[in-house]
Amino acid sequence: MGNLVGDNAVHVDLEPVTDIPNDNHFYLNMGPQHPSTHGVLRVLLEMDGEYVVEAQPVLGYGHRMQEKMAEHKNWMAFMPNTGRMDYAAALPYNHGYVALFERLCGIEVPARAEYIRVITSELNRIVSHHLWIGAMLLDMGAFTPILYTFDDREQVLDILEDVTGSRLTYCYFRVGGVCKDIDDKFIEKTRAFIKRQRERFTIYNDLITGNIIFIKRTEGVGIISPDMARRYGITGPVLRGSGIAYDVRKNEPYSVYPNFDFEIPVGQNGDSYDRYMVRLLEIEQSLRIIEQALDQLPEGPFLGKAPKKMKMPTGDCSFTVEAARGELTYYLVSGGGDIPYRLKIRVPSYSNLSVLPELCQSMLLSDLVAAMGSMDLVIPEIDR
Amino acid sequence: MHPATEKLVSALKELSIQVDNCNYEERGYHFEIDLEADKLRVLAECMLAQEMFLGFVGGLHVKPAIEIVYQFASFERACRFVVRVPVAADNSIPTISDIYQGANWHERETRDFYGVNFTDHPNLVPLLLAEEDVDLKPLLKKDEDLKESAELRWAAPVEEKPEAEKAEQG
Amino acid sequence: MPPELLRMIIAAVLVVAFVFLNAMILGYMERKVSAHIQRRPGLMEVGPHGVLQLLIDGLKLIGKQLVVPEGSNKFLFRLAPVLSFAPCVLPFVVIPFSKKLQIVSMDISLIFILAMTSINVIAILVAGWASNNKYSLFGTFRSVAQAVSYEIPMLLSILSVILVTSTFSLSGIIAAQKYYWFILIQPLAFIIYFISGMAETNRAPFDMPEAESELTAGFHTEYSGMGFSFFFLAEYANMFTVCSIATVLFLGGWKGIPLPLGDYTGIFWFMLKVYGLLFVMIWVRWTFPRVRFDQLMTFCWKYLIPFALANLLITAVLVKLI
Repeated sequence: MGNLVGDNAVHVDLEPVTDIPNDNHFYLNMGPQHPSTHGVLRVLLEMDGEYVVEAQPVLGYGHRMQEKMAEHKNWMAFMPNTGRMDYAAALPYNHGYVALFERLCGIEVPARAEYIRVITSELNRIVSHHLWIGAMLLDMGAFTPILYTFDDREQVLDILEDVTGSRLTYCYFRVGGVCKDIDDKFIEKTRAFIKRQRERFTIYNDLITGNIIFIKRTEGVGIISPDMARRYGITGPVLRGSGIAYDVRKNEPYSVYPNFDFEIPVGQNGDSYDRYMVRLLEIEQSLRIIEQALDQLPEGPFLGKAPKKMKMPTGDCSFTVEAARGELTYYLVSGGGDIPYRLKIRVPSYSNLSVLPELCQSMLLSDLVAAMGSMDLVIPEIDR
Repeated sequence: MHPATEKLVSALKELSIQVDNCNYEERGYHFEIDLEADKLRVLAECMLAQEMFLGFVGGLHVKPAIEIVYQFASFERACRFVVRVPVAADNSIPTISDIYQGANWHERETRDFYGVNFTDHPNLVPLLLAEEDVDLKPLLKKDEDLKESAELRWAAPVEEKPEAEKAEQG
Repeated sequence: MPPELLRMIIAAVLVVAFVFLNAMILGYMERKVSAHIQRRPGLMEVGPHGVLQLLIDGLKLIGKQLVVPEGSNKFLFRLAPVLSFAPCVLPFVVIPFSKKLQIVSMDISLIFILAMTSINVIAILVAGWASNNKYSLFGTFRSVAQAVSYEIPMLLSILSVILVTSTFSLSGIIAAQKYYWFILIQPLAFIIYFISGMAETNRAPFDMPEAESELTAGFHTEYSGMGFSFFFLAEYANMFTVCSIATVLFLGGWKGIPLPLGDYTGIFWFMLKVYGLLFVMIWVRWTFPRVRFDQLMTFCWKYLIPFALANLLITAVLVKLI
């Protein structure tokens, strides 16, 4: 075997890493390209053998400055951006954004549009949780579940594609409603999907939930206490896994969520296994919501009256939705006109990831992968 | 008003912090506080003691001084606070990252975008921007776009409905 | 040319050809079985139902550029794949494919095979060290610890069978299974041996050393082209060796329902049993997630070894009494 690189090799002078306090420790770089960091995330690990002494996430590889773009675009021009922040579950992002303007300007949304919004958002939540289950198991070395969950995802993506036109980065909601109505075919396919999905739970329970190796890899790993969650501002399934039943859909209900009867699954120990169970049970609760919404779906227009050129009053406004990963808040400061003065987007995975340094002290590398996987991070939403 | 929320509001009043009720339907939050920087840490400690969590820390570039916006909310009931604090003349403000560790990253990001210095922050290096873009400060507005802080507040009076009926959120 | 030398040359060629053929068949089987478990068709393009895929893959890998990392120890880096592959070919010389299809029959064939498979540990060590890459080093640490630890239950379970047969010769062991297969009297040893075999060959759920999602590819991260394919071939050859020892020791080797030309066609039963066990190995791989490394070691030292020792003790007592 000859060395074909030869004399034309490019020499890169890398700065040696100085000031490692302990000679027995070494630095390991997880990412930015790595199969387990879901997106472009770099985690700088100081390792003592197999144990992680310190974990520092390094962000910004996907930073696009969405908040500056929002200061130069009116709401219609910025709508597609909202679908690209969290691409795995983009409809709640759409929802928060348009509902923000509706709250600020007092725009009425027809009932049918609200129901359609809820149905599609919950379908999107199901899709996101399926993706997460597959990816988490893939991180742990089980190559099969991801294909089963992607099969379920395909059913939903086909349904949503018919009505929204996209499979991933949705731009479906408008201020005042949604941009296209749902028809009987959509309702039929959704009902068929709900029935099919309920039967699929037995497969997931056999293959994953009861799998002794999976349980051993996730039980007791990455325990987040409620106090830690409060200090870091953790929300979503990560928080609910630690036993706090906080869900924006019940706490500060928006849209037509008060009309539905659903539960908030919580875990007890705050470890990775509880976070997995919470998300699995949330899929079932989303199916319940969709069923009730389909039963209650009223007739009527799907898009209310909204001015083409928005005239915002001066002042600030905040809107919070329950995205698939936690609490998503849009905070808008307007100085009049139709372009925001400032739009702050508070993203759930941002706070969830910031707990990593405290969580991962003296943890095995494999446990770090399991804990990070269980937090369900999507890096583009963190980087915005 | 929920008893825990009442307790929180009276605890804040004891620290001589003015709490204004807001119309939730219009604004999306329940209480608004305009604060001086020296009372910031006391407020944060009170919030943590009353079991609120930190939503976000963001910046707002206005005249005369950049304002840092904090949003606090509760896990147990609907109770959302927006706190606005103008920075000092030398563009600095105390950090609350030892009280709320989640503020660590939010403050780093605000420094990236606005150049505000959070005194006593343990690790104030760029978070989202690259290391060489330390002085980029992308969200600072140009002079012709900059507005007064008073221009960006609600024109109509805050209190529109009777307090008891409107504040029945929690 | 003396007939012995001719025989040895033919045997060598056959063995190497068989190793490559086995890798092809096993690779195809793995990809097809995993595809059907994962609800997809799998290989379909090259040849009818993708049967020629592995052949083309081999040709592709031969043609790839061999990249040697800048800071690595160049001699050791190139030595490691060869060191991994060469000892894997040798066990095939002593495996009894059928009554008259054993190339060399030694009295200590079993020890010979175990010795050869142990050299693999050195090859992994050399590969990880010479790559000058922290991820490879990690994979090496884990792999060496795992391989060395799991050899113990493997040996102990084999010893239990040897106590019954009093011979290390593979053909002798098969001959001793005249009336019944040893799996009936040593079921625990069979299970322990099979699990240790999976751990020895770095197969999931024990594939920590190649943990893709944590370490990119473990000890063979830096290898490309033929270097990588040597490790790949070595892994499949090892799998075959492990399963054939399991077949010989526990499942009666080439014994089965008598066929015409029984002395030579025993190979049919042998292959059936070996590939059945290989199918189980593949099935297990695509069902379970990876076992965490410390749990892997705990399982070996706290569970497998005590059970294997207990099994050995009981066997010794029973052999003495009966």
